[in-house]
Amino acid sequence: MNPTFRTLRMAQMTLLELTRRRGVLGLLLLVPLVFYLGRHDEPGQAIRFASLGLGFAVSAAALFSSVGGREIEPRLALGGFRPRHLHLGRVLALVTAGLVVSALYALLIAVDQDVRDLAAVALELALTTLVAVPLGLLLGLAVPRDMEGTLLLISVIGAQMVMDPAKDSARALPFWSTREIITYAVDGPGAASLAPGVTHALVTAVLLTAVSSAVQSVRLRRRAHMQFG
Amino acid sequence: MLLHARGIVKSYRRRRVLHGVDLAVRAGEVAAIVGSNGAGKSTLLKICAGLVTPDGGRVTVRGRLGYCPQNAGVMGFLTPGEHFTLFGAGRGMRRGAAARRGRELARALDWTVNRRTLAKDLSGGTRQKLNVVLAALGDPDVLLLDEPYQGFDRGSYLDFWRHVWDWREEGKAVVVVTHMLNRLDRVDQVLDLSPRTATGTTL
Repeated sequence: MNPTFRTLRMAQMTLLELTRRRGVLGLLLLVPLVFYLGRHDEPGQAIRFASLGLGFAVSAAALFSSVGGREIEPRLALGGFRPRHLHLGRVLALVTAGLVVSALYALLIAVDQDVRDLAAVALELALTTLVAVPLGLLLGLAVPRDMEGTLLLISVIGAQMVMDPAKDSARALPFWSTREIITYAVDGPGAASLAPGVTHALVTAVLLTAVSSAVQSVRLRRRAHMQFG
Repeated sequence: MLLHARGIVKSYRRRRVLHGVDLAVRAGEVAAIVGSNGAGKSTLLKICAGLVTPDGGRVTVRGRLGYCPQNAGVMGFLTPGEHFTLFGAGRGMRRGAAARRGRELARALDWTVNRRTLAKDLSGGTRQKLNVVLAALGDPDVLLLDEPYQGFDRGSYLDFWRHVWDWREEGKAVVVVTHMLNRLDRVDQVLDLSPRTATGTTL
């Protein structure tokens, strides 16, 4: 059977499971809204906070999905799935859900705010999703339980909010691109430029995906003591 | 020989639970693994499934493996039918074929699959039946079953063992971790992992 078929089947089932968790979906939509409304009086800040809220919500969904899959994934691997089918399937499902939420927020901002470059805002929200999914999956693979992962995620988002983005060290944070692109979209090319933000987001997303995929492959590897005749 | 485990050694921290255990199961044989709590029964089965790495020893498998865990490792927000589809995809089965086969196996365990019930809403026994069906889906050659009948009523328990004899007739190698000693007279071999008595007996 075509490997793409297995990946798509895994994506379909992960998405189905996610969409049935109405509480999770509600919070996925609510968290960025709370962040957004908290700074609603300042358009630039409101959009930045909504983006970080989206990053937090999507990462948290990915984290819980990753931890929740720990029991079933070894069985699926035993039953013919390769680790990459499982990982890519999960990534695909979460990115799809995240992009739908980011599109809803792009729509809200388009209706509610007078932004200089709306396309850049929409691009930034989509890139935030692309970074958030592998970040959450990696945290889910790295920690023993979802509680530890959530605390780590809160630390990352908290650091993102308080650190001065002009500092070089701020670029080490996964959502540095969020502030950079929103500054460009709201304040214009004089305040920030689009290319470094987009590059940072894409490089971060690729790196996080590669590392989380490698960790998943190690976890679900065929053990050395097994010989198949 | 469909399953051959040789010299399996495993320790947790400083406590050694498996001391050079051997287990060989041929096609058309049923082996039972017994032993007290903490004797390493589930650990041995996970090592045979390739889910846990031993400190020493090797496992050779001919054909495909099916594994049923002791506790339900399923996706709570999917229906049993969706589980059949997902696990069937791993075995190279199309949706329709996987669903048909899954329902057949379920019926043999006295379980009529409700299309809408989510796995999280199934009773413990029914969820365990789902696990057995998922292990057997795709016709594996070697079946590793870790106390699979937990929560089964008496009728389902008897159906389960009938299924085991059917698998034996089909030429599969079946390994069952069990506490239910009254069925041991009908298995082909018993591996007792109790401390000091770790012995294999061919019946």
